[in-house]
Amino acid sequence: MTFLVRKKRLGRRTFLRGAVGGSAVALGLPLLEAMISARQAQAEDPIGDPIFGLFYWANGTPWHAGHGAEQAVGTDLWTPAQTGPGYAPSELLAPLAAHQVSVATGLEPHTEIPPEPPGQGDGHMRGFMVAMTGDRIRPEGFDHPSHTLTVLRPTMDQYVAKHDDFYGDAPTRFRSLEVGVSGARFHDYGHWNAISYNGPDAQNPPIMDPAQLYAKLFNVPDDLVALGRRARLIDAVHDDAKGLRQRLGAGDRARLDAHLEHLDEIQRRLELTSGTCEMAPAVPGNSGDLVEQTAIVAELLAAALNCDLTRVFSFMLTSPATTHVFGNLGVPDGMHKTCHDGKWESVRKITLFQMQAFAKLLDAMAAYKDPMENSLLDRALVYGVSEYGEGYKHSTKEMPVLLAGGCNGAINRGVHVREPGGNLCKVHVTILRALGIDCPSYGFNGGETTEHLTGILA
Amino acid sequence: MWSGPLSLSGLRSGSLSALTVAVALAGCYAGAPAGDSDSDGASGASGTASMSASASASASASGGSGDSDGDSDGDTDTGGPPALPFEPGPPTLPRLTAAQYNNALRDVLGAPLPTPSLEPDTNPYLFFNIGAASTTVSEVGVQRYEEAAEAISKAVFGDAARREALVGCVPEAADDACAEAFVTTFGRRLMRRPLSAEERGRWLAFAAELADGDPWEGLRMAVAGMLQSPHFLYRVELGEAAPTEDDPTRRRYTGWEIATRLSFLLWNTTPDDQLLDAAEAGLLDTEEGIRVEAERLLEDPRARAAIQAFFAQYLDLGRLDQVERDSELYPLYTPSLAEAMRTEVELLVDDFVHREEADVRGLFTTRRTFVNEDLAKIYGVEAKGASPITFVPVELPEDGPRAGILTLGAFLMMNAHATETSPTLRGKYVRERVLCEEVPAPPGDVDTNIPEPDGEAHTLRERLEQHRADPACAGCHAFIDPPGFLFEHFDSIGNYRDLDNGYPIDASGELDGAPLAGARDLADALADDKRVARCMVTQLYRNTAGRLELPGERPGIKAVEDEFAASGYRYRELLLAFVTSEAFRTVATPEDL
Repeated sequence: MTFLVRKKRLGRRTFLRGAVGGSAVALGLPLLEAMISARQAQAEDPIGDPIFGLFYWANGTPWHAGHGAEQAVGTDLWTPAQTGPGYAPSELLAPLAAHQVSVATGLEPHTEIPPEPPGQGDGHMRGFMVAMTGDRIRPEGFDHPSHTLTVLRPTMDQYVAKHDDFYGDAPTRFRSLEVGVSGARFHDYGHWNAISYNGPDAQNPPIMDPAQLYAKLFNVPDDLVALGRRARLIDAVHDDAKGLRQRLGAGDRARLDAHLEHLDEIQRRLELTSGTCEMAPAVPGNSGDLVEQTAIVAELLAAALNCDLTRVFSFMLTSPATTHVFGNLGVPDGMHKTCHDGKWESVRKITLFQMQAFAKLLDAMAAYKDPMENSLLDRALVYGVSEYGEGYKHSTKEMPVLLAGGCNGAINRGVHVREPGGNLCKVHVTILRALGIDCPSYGFNGGETTEHLTGILA
Repeated sequence: MWSGPLSLSGLRSGSLSALTVAVALAGCYAGAPAGDSDSDGASGASGTASMSASASASASASGGSGDSDGDSDGDTDTGGPPALPFEPGPPTLPRLTAAQYNNALRDVLGAPLPTPSLEPDTNPYLFFNIGAASTTVSEVGVQRYEEAAEAISKAVFGDAARREALVGCVPEAADDACAEAFVTTFGRRLMRRPLSAEERGRWLAFAAELADGDPWEGLRMAVAGMLQSPHFLYRVELGEAAPTEDDPTRRRYTGWEIATRLSFLLWNTTPDDQLLDAAEAGLLDTEEGIRVEAERLLEDPRARAAIQAFFAQYLDLGRLDQVERDSELYPLYTPSLAEAMRTEVELLVDDFVHREEADVRGLFTTRRTFVNEDLAKIYGVEAKGASPITFVPVELPEDGPRAGILTLGAFLMMNAHATETSPTLRGKYVRERVLCEEVPAPPGDVDTNIPEPDGEAHTLRERLEQHRADPACAGCHAFIDPPGFLFEHFDSIGNYRDLDNGYPIDASGELDGAPLAGARDLADALADDKRVARCMVTQLYRNTAGRLELPGERPGIKAVEDEFAASGYRYRELLLAFVTSEAFRTVATPEDL
């Protein structure tokens, strides 16, 4: 955890704010030069700042005897036969072998399950929430026909992106990016269509359209004066909101405050204009194939990481309980129903396909290397997870946990750790400590633990 | 006579009145299935396939006592305890939905405008208004507001004729008398209330600061700022202490707030000048004044679009968007079938609400409907003049299997799986959407899978009955499945069938203990079931309040329901009764203030 290199960065916001009020013309050049030299300095660093990513796929892994199914359908194609470093990848992990992904098996949520309303133990709810937040779901609303439910606290990507130990006072252009690939969804709200949350009822819907993502990342107007005026206008919006806050009840005041905090981030970004990416990738196309589409989005994401536009992302391949129809694999029904229909062979094929998609993301991150041959993946820790162990019975035992990347040496690569019944929140502790974030313990409502995964955290 | 093609998106944005005249005159009209990017169509639950034993208690308590009119919750019409007083709940702070944002700016700035890509709305509890009132916007969402404000203000002010028409004078400076007059008028329209002197002064000061030597640019920036203001993006409706009210926890909405509530309910957009003038004149402080304005609004085509948006959400029609079927398995399936089914429901709603002004509960019993060529084939009716894009009114046969929208395409197809039907989904829809009853989620530790076919169970019904043999599942499934079995004669696209998996269909079932032979019987049973109308009123209330009703609000809803009944269940009368009621006009002091 001492691998982190914290560079002193330019106080861009302060600098620009002063400049916009006065002589705006003069500010472009020196700022640009400072940026370029900062980037050069970074390239010469043997190790850059760490990157954290969340990769999510739906509906777990295929069930097998003793896991989700009484009937002895299929064998365990997920858990590698050996533990420790250098394990031989299982059939379903084979697509990730080139990247020496570490894997933890046997873990499960330890959070309490309130008895009422019923259903909170279900994998889509409990497995997802604990994997993402280390806490249980917020039960209010769950007993209604719409099954509206939400997180109690930020998901890991947002916890990291807003933690002082991660960005300090020099956040990147975007604190985080939320992207996705499959638009199929079980419901149109809650965690059924987004995996990243700032808090209860505050989700970050992923950008699914590559063109929109490209525009957000790389089409930044270069008229600094105009952008400075847009930034100044946000002060006017703040002024206009002032009288409103104290007239609202606590809940709505919190919603408004979050909106105003987002405005601060946007203002910061408008003032940051010169921190753009000079090596923008080609304007992306679109593909109907999930793996190809993953490669397209992954390339944009990797280019953004390479330009240091962000260091935190969440990547939703498919949303929880996805209804995505994998017609390309000859599966006629949506995936969720396919699981419940007990179509083991279809679920095997789909899970393998989803791992192939994950490999595309890791490929893209591994392809960007600095002069010292350190890739983005060497700097990164990508947490791959699904909502439950298997989809036939929604069992939250045997949660599939993947930890990809070297995280600047803080993560041992290519290790299999097996802890049957172990606390899933050990993953969160591992991630936070690897990223250099102070973490005496993590987990809530029965899920607390002080332990990390000892074989995986270096 | 009108016979040209008409796009469905036009149908959903207010041009329905021309359409139905065509139906009346010509007996037909055409619609070309098309994408609809701006509809308020809802999506919702398609939950898992089993329920808990513990839910059976609440199931029977919420309607399963066998009381034939369904009025079994103690809320009886006669002889019960005296009515409880109405206690309004706390206010909400809804963000404008994407449709409301676009509609409002079209009305305030005029068309055409760039169509911004806003954060997608969500619809917990079926309604976008509830998502807008309960969720927090993301950072990306706020950035999109910022970018939209920039693009829209530039589109308007980049055109010299357009900006002069909007502003009404030529400013010499960004804070001169012309600019001030504009900020005053525009601010009132955009914020749906007059700006205070302090607010006007502040926006003018920013206009001057950011003018960059061009007064027009200063005004553009002021507009771009106001478009990002929470006073525009959120509906601030907090009420004020009423002069005659000595209960400090109860407030009455101001005239300006009533104008906003009326207009977003009845038009799904911002108030027009006439409505704001009525507020300013104090006309909206009285029941009579509200009624006069509501009647005016209901005459406008925008009301038809808003009513369609409500019904699409209440009936959960957005789920049709997700439907796909294999035409190998279902030869009558076409890619535009789901769109045709949605259009059919819209035409029925329009027929009941506007053209006939009939008992709107007839939606669940009607034998009159509107079909295009594809639907006519599925229903097996003759439809002279129908084509893939032309709908004609038809009468379903009296001795046929169909009556009411629960026997028509939309309900049957969206509540079925891609390769088989789902009595559970269909029964759940009847319980939750039609009767507003609650079906709890299955407990986490039960097997929600339906057994595979074996030697004994041939049909899906038989497999489901095996599933119900598990006591953990039996309670809820006994509540959900029996009304769902009534539809077993209709396959996954709503086509009539006699066999399932090669074996004869048994479509008998029951509702709350009353045995029914099939879906036609259910239509008869629903015809005088009080839960149907109560559910419609309750959903209207939730959609307006932006949240579920609180127990103290139920007497207010009941009062509206009674007026609805007295009107012969005419939907227009329901809206008028609602907007003039205490339930619409009063609010509690915010909690934790």
